[in-house]
Amino acid sequence: MKESKPFETFETRGGGLFLKEILQKNHIRVKEPAATWEDAIRRAGSVLAEAGSIKPEYIDYMIESVREYGPYVVISPMLAIAHAAPGKGVIRNDMSLITLSSPVNFGSENDPVSVVLCFGSIDPTSHIDRLTRIAELLSKESRISDLACAGTVDEVITVLNR
Amino acid sequence: MNLKKIQAVCGFGCGSSLFLRMKIQDILKESNLEAEVFCGDIGTCTTVPCDVIFTSAELAEQIMNRTKVPVVPISNFMNKEEIKEKTLLFLSESL
Repeated sequence: MKESKPFETFETRGGGLFLKEILQKNHIRVKEPAATWEDAIRRAGSVLAEAGSIKPEYIDYMIESVREYGPYVVISPMLAIAHAAPGKGVIRNDMSLITLSSPVNFGSENDPVSVVLCFGSIDPTSHIDRLTRIAELLSKESRISDLACAGTVDEVITVLNR
Repeated sequence: MNLKKIQAVCGFGCGSSLFLRMKIQDILKESNLEAEVFCGDIGTCTTVPCDVIFTSAELAEQIMNRTKVPVVPISNFMNKEEIKEKTLLFLSESL
């Protein structure tokens, strides 16, 4: 039997943090069905709740924060960053990435959204390195539309590692 | 020299504002310019000393009437061209 790893992980090229240090493979989901933006946030959040990284109420906090501050979480065409205040409802720093089978509207000028990056952080600063690194990986040209088109988790990883 | 203080603002000062801060820092580096860039949250950003606030269009509307510093709305936090144009414009106007 092969030596078991706590999580299935993957490598990426380049300097800085490895992708596997930021985003576990089993925290990526593709073509998730979501009818509304709330649904999309719930689906991304459930990945972290199932992993035991957040309490289920953190998902509600993420949705409430969009209701309170507006759809600014859609920071770029097709991409929403879902999170709530650091600490409350968070068990450990963690991140998930989902793509949607059909895009949903958040009411933002960057609608419709096909990719949701979700994270919880235990404090205001300890997640910054990892979030900065994923931001670098996501901000390369056409990255988000390529992610939205990916049919499998492996394709998502290939796009991020490209 | 008096470094300009640029505050990148989002709801909690630790999510999307990081994306924005990173882009602004990249642009400054590329353009050989210096400024202090830091993240802030919508609740407290107007009490934190700074020379300008960069934020989303939605949040800009909520901040604009609470502060005396210019508030620069950014539509796309991943669009380097947009952020570059607005960053360089601010810095040139504030010389």
